[in-house]
Amino acid sequence: MMATLLILPAFAMFLVSFSKHKKAKYLLTVTSFAILLPIVKLFWLPKPYAIWGEYLVADKLDTYILLVSSLVGIGVTLALLTLDLHVKISAKSYRRFYRFFATFWVGLIFSILANHMGIYWIGLELATLSTVYMIKTNHSLAAHKEAWNYMIVGAIAISLVLFGIILMYASAKPILGEDAMRFDLLLQKAQDIPSPFLFEMGFAISTVGMFVKMGFFPMNLWLANIERASFYPVAALFSGILESAVIVGFFRFSEIAMKVNYAHLFSFIFVYALLTIFIVAFLLYRAKDFMRLFSLSGVEHMALIALFWVSGGTFAALLHFGAHAFLKPALFLSTGVLESQGKYHIAGALKGYVGKRGKLFWFTVSLFLLAIISLPPSPMFFSEIYGFGAMIDMAKKSDHILAMIGAILLLLLLLSIIFYRFVTVYQSMKYEGETVEKRVYTSEILALLLFAVCLGFLMTPASFAFLRSIV
Amino acid sequence: MGIDFFIGLFLATLIVALFTARLYRLILWYSMNSLALGILALMVGKSLDDEAMLITGVATLVIKAVGIPYMLKYFSEKFHFVRQIQPQIKTHYAIMLIPAILVFTFYLSEPITHMVEGNANYVAVSISSLFLSLLLMMEHRHVAPKIIGFLSMENALFLLGITATGGMPMLVELGIFFDLLMAIVVMNLLFHKEEEVRS
Repeated sequence: MMATLLILPAFAMFLVSFSKHKKAKYLLTVTSFAILLPIVKLFWLPKPYAIWGEYLVADKLDTYILLVSSLVGIGVTLALLTLDLHVKISAKSYRRFYRFFATFWVGLIFSILANHMGIYWIGLELATLSTVYMIKTNHSLAAHKEAWNYMIVGAIAISLVLFGIILMYASAKPILGEDAMRFDLLLQKAQDIPSPFLFEMGFAISTVGMFVKMGFFPMNLWLANIERASFYPVAALFSGILESAVIVGFFRFSEIAMKVNYAHLFSFIFVYALLTIFIVAFLLYRAKDFMRLFSLSGVEHMALIALFWVSGGTFAALLHFGAHAFLKPALFLSTGVLESQGKYHIAGALKGYVGKRGKLFWFTVSLFLLAIISLPPSPMFFSEIYGFGAMIDMAKKSDHILAMIGAILLLLLLLSIIFYRFVTVYQSMKYEGETVEKRVYTSEILALLLFAVCLGFLMTPASFAFLRSIV
Repeated sequence: MGIDFFIGLFLATLIVALFTARLYRLILWYSMNSLALGILALMVGKSLDDEAMLITGVATLVIKAVGIPYMLKYFSEKFHFVRQIQPQIKTHYAIMLIPAILVFTFYLSEPITHMVEGNANYVAVSISSLFLSLLLMMEHRHVAPKIIGFLSMENALFLLGITATGGMPMLVELGIFFDLLMAIVVMNLLFHKEEEVRS
């Protein structure tokens, strides 16, 4: 029953997308709202809740991620209402975009709620393939090239994930049989896995695949190029929803790997994340347009989430995840409005917004920009404080406290480069350039307000208590 | 004995595909590669008395050995693909590179092969096939051979699933087939759009 309720709105969206009626686009947005209802119901049900036997099981972690993703989905569909007023898109492409958005949702529900490595992979692959066409809704040569690029690099990344899953499955099959695909059983029997080396190899390969998909080292620019070439809602979907499906897999796999050999897991993720942030900090410093700036900053945040998670700062990781999932799509959607006066015009981008809507727009964008660089009281600020605290606590239990302090100082230095870049961009947007009158539409303001409210709610004591209770 | 022959054939078809400079011939080698894989799945399924693997074996033969090559040939005619696909890596370098990859992957997979049940060499062949498929994707500039490289990579993963785990759960195998069909639908749309962009 619950599985049907979860998939039904996506199915309705798929059907409505065939309608050529002018008002159909409003119905498409309504179906996006309908996705939230069963998720809210799921949120209140006792956990773990079996949705489809042992294959799809809702626990606190995946319900939280699904709830965040559905809210982001609503924000994106609100902004989609006025997409044609900012960019050139045919009605056919617009409808097809929604058709693939519905398919994307089905893949996403499967991957986030999966209690089975195979189902997780199938869902992730479906979500990845459906986003390929979304990139192509922009009828430009660059978008066409990047759609193929995404298809091929994404396929390699996802194949690496499957390769790792097969090895992990092979490592646990002697004790669990076909159930060696199940996350819950793997977690219970992690210490009894007869070939831990094989499991670790599988985990490492899968993680590299997932990290490549999120733009980690050495594929730091491929995602930024794709988001640059496609329409802005696609970038918002990538950063706010698709990356959530990827990171939930990392959470699941790493929970098991922690029990197999924590020291190996930590060293591997620590070096990988640090290397990624090191490179991204300098790429960000050289970024010359909004899309690349926000896209590379997304990579930095995902690396921080992975780092906090494996350091035992699960609360910090989940808070950072929630904040990133709301802030980044908000900024990508704002980019669509900011760039409608011409791409790459950072100077004066925030000037010229008049009237109530205009003022509200530049105010919320300013808040989001300052929040993404972790200025208090942004949730990013608190998550980083808690995350670095968790790293220190973890190091206290070992003999590597000085090395950890050194690593945190290096991280802070790299984060300050990013901070400096964002502050420079903000000042240029606010105080430089000419003032040209610009327009912003109600649905876009509603989308941004939704993200702002969600961010505010994330900071309430009730949310903090919930996040602490997840792991 | 029969399994050894077909696993050898699987690897051989992939190696020949790496030297192929014509698109239709490449599609043919992909079809042969899938045929060897399908027969392998049927043979392993029969020896293990695993019904699920027999079903996936038949699905491999129908979808991968016949259906997908037919679709690729159809797309190639419909969208006027470039059929002269000279690999970027010259033959005399490829002759040295391919054995080096094989030796390297056999060496690399040595610690893993001790830990899996069944014939250890089969796992090593699967992992080498994965690397060779990656090479196939890298050595071509055009999109069509890259797609065949991706499909060959999926075949290599399927072989790894058969050899390292004695077959993956039926649901997963069918899900992978479904995703593969979805990939073909998306590719069709992308090719359609390529035509529009060109015109």
